[in-house]
Amino acid sequence: MATGIKDKVAILSMGCSRFGERWDVGQEELMVEAYVEALSRAGIEPAAIGAAWYSSHYDDIGAGKAGTPMAQALRLPNIGVTRVENFCAGGTEAFRGAVYAVASGAVDIALAVGVEKLKDTGFAGLPLASRGTFGPMYLPTHSNPGNFAQLAAAYQARHNVGRADLKRAMAHTSVKSHANAVKNPNAHLRKAITIEQALNAPLVAEPIGLFDCCPVSDGAACAIVTTPKIARSLGRAPAVTVKAIQIVTSNGWEVQQAEWDGAHVHTARIAARAAYAEAGITDPARQISLTEVHDCFSITELVTLEDLGLTEPGTAWREMLDGRFDADGAMPCQIDGGLKCFGHPVGASGLRMLYEAWLQLTGAAGGRQLANPSLALTHNLGGAPSQNVCSVTILGAN
Amino acid sequence: MAVAAARAALRGQDAAAVHTLSFATTTAPFAEPQGAAFVHAALRLPETCLAQDVQGSPRATLIALHSALESGQTALIAAGDLPPGTPGSLAEARAGDGGAAALVGSGPGLLDYRGGISLSAPFTDRYRANGHDHPQEWEERWVREAGYLDLVPKAVAGALAKAGLSAADIDHFVLPCPIPGVAAAVAARAGLANARRAASLAETCGDTGTAHPLLMLAHALETVVPGQKILVAQFGQGATALIFEAGSVTMTPLVSPQLAQGIDEANYMKLLAFRGQIAWDRGLRGRFIVNEALSTAWRYSAALLGFVGGRCRETGRIQFPPTRLTVGDGLHLDTQEPWPLADVGGLVATFTADLLAFSPHPPNCYGLVDLNSGGRLLMEFTDPGAAEITPGKPVEFVFRIKDIDPQTGYRRYFWKAIATPVAS
Repeated sequence: MATGIKDKVAILSMGCSRFGERWDVGQEELMVEAYVEALSRAGIEPAAIGAAWYSSHYDDIGAGKAGTPMAQALRLPNIGVTRVENFCAGGTEAFRGAVYAVASGAVDIALAVGVEKLKDTGFAGLPLASRGTFGPMYLPTHSNPGNFAQLAAAYQARHNVGRADLKRAMAHTSVKSHANAVKNPNAHLRKAITIEQALNAPLVAEPIGLFDCCPVSDGAACAIVTTPKIARSLGRAPAVTVKAIQIVTSNGWEVQQAEWDGAHVHTARIAARAAYAEAGITDPARQISLTEVHDCFSITELVTLEDLGLTEPGTAWREMLDGRFDADGAMPCQIDGGLKCFGHPVGASGLRMLYEAWLQLTGAAGGRQLANPSLALTHNLGGAPSQNVCSVTILGAN
Repeated sequence: MAVAAARAALRGQDAAAVHTLSFATTTAPFAEPQGAAFVHAALRLPETCLAQDVQGSPRATLIALHSALESGQTALIAAGDLPPGTPGSLAEARAGDGGAAALVGSGPGLLDYRGGISLSAPFTDRYRANGHDHPQEWEERWVREAGYLDLVPKAVAGALAKAGLSAADIDHFVLPCPIPGVAAAVAARAGLANARRAASLAETCGDTGTAHPLLMLAHALETVVPGQKILVAQFGQGATALIFEAGSVTMTPLVSPQLAQGIDEANYMKLLAFRGQIAWDRGLRGRFIVNEALSTAWRYSAALLGFVGGRCRETGRIQFPPTRLTVGDGLHLDTQEPWPLADVGGLVATFTADLLAFSPHPPNCYGLVDLNSGGRLLMEFTDPGAAEITPGKPVEFVFRIKDIDPQTGYRRYFWKAIATPVAS
């Protein structure tokens, strides 16, 4: 009988590059930036790393396929590097690979790196992802804002929320993240905005406006994991352990059967339930100290807060307006600025969230440090609300 | 357009009985393959149905119709045309895009065939050489005097002889001609001055090439009463004249409502852009590969062209596209039977008007559509009124170009959702 991952693996250290429009560097330099930070904080030699996982989504504008770009960039000691790609959940997928490798006893120390170099496309927004030969023959020519805008249309219909109210709640979501990111030196967008600016921004995909969208960022993040016992043997307290990692993937039900209401994310609810069970959490709204959710768009954050059971379905928009998820609210969300302002280098985002959770849980978050956090939740949503990969990870301070 | 017209013609009819399909056009999307193959697949006609393109002249439609009427077999003639004209030319101003279709068979119908004739002559009133986009035309007066006024009356006389009728017996005369006044002159020359001349529709939709004889006929049928005689003629490297007697079956008006519901479009540049007649900026986001993947397209041709989904015999679930393992619990293997979706309609579940995604006509509107038969899929919405298709609205499905590769010219077809017209 599986017992889950709880407390079997500790985070030895983490690293994260500065996110943003990094015209100055390529994917290799971004990886080095995150890796060197993590390695120096861990106080280990590269030779101590037994295996590595590498997450990168776009291989045509990044460094290419397979594990070799990372092995070469980081000059790893001829260990196995496994490239994973799972849309926006790729960073968490890489982390899971490293964590499972350590938990299995196959290696003592494992490395996970996520990276994306997006600002080499020549245009704003994400490039089209390959969907094989058959999909594009019938699927709409879409964009990510368009995919998530549908969530807003369905949310309005399902919960009888007027467009103006939802737009205001979406605007508050972004204003809050902009305010948080001002205190984060690694963030892409470090400028406060007003509700009016958000509301009056040009439309991208009805009803999503420019300030409802996260930016397209270059960046990398990295984790080095080991067992609590080995951490102690290295003279390091296993300050943060993994309490749960769950990844749930759509099987086509949402997009092929008229049973899903389109106003929530089916996989997120399943992943949250499983993660809480794995971590032994019974009352997430009270027990979880901070959340880093996949706010690719403001509407995604609102719906996710409901899917994670942190607020009742149909109420997140009102709770957001009431300030519950602000930095000084009862449940701070996106304290580092989130995807919205820290930025969203696709393959790195899961690890970036874990980086912030780790900083907060170890009291190392500087000017944005929260008071005594004990449990941190990170969440990724890759793909579209109707067909996606969703991850929920919970880290805990010991 | 040919598919849309053919679907209307087949409504309530037995598509499985169609023996021959002729797709008539002077503007085939491909030199190869033939367009009839796509029309055939979109209509889900039987594999044994002979499908052919007929082209080279606007008269191709009546040539195919004549041939079908003489064959005694069930045949479908589907015409669709985008008559080309050089920007700014008279030909462009007189032309319109359109589709029309006729189903020929035995038994009581709208029209009973009484007789007809086709004359052939190397009379070239206009030409468009391979590799050239626009036609070159000769002087209209010569076309009228030496062409229409000579050949069409001869064909009319021949058809009357075949039908055992005299010119005075003809109640309605249908002759498309983009040159004003010609139809009246021909009628006078052919002794049909007392017959009611079918409206040219020049002011409302323009001359639609291969579609126009059937379009004008369908429009005329809105006023025809049983027993009346109708002569349909067309000119082009000869002339065809076919005589019908109106049967007891009547048809819901198809043409007038469409003309009445037309939407004014004042943006001429849109026409040029859609026709590829001006260079326009697709943007870097529009620079993606339209992968023809011909083997994939063939493997899924029933789904892509015929819009055929699957229904699980065991769970009753309907899905698109069909798969070996049915959507749901993954316990039902190879239980799906083909389930046509083109005519089921649906309700919109989610929607967006996307200004970022590439579209030749932004915003690109799409969302989840819940099929009335059960099942759901993500679809593009199209005009009229695509941006007003919000959750809960009813939609119907139309066969459309999915995208065109600017490099290769390859085009893919699929189905899109349109708002269900209020009247229906």
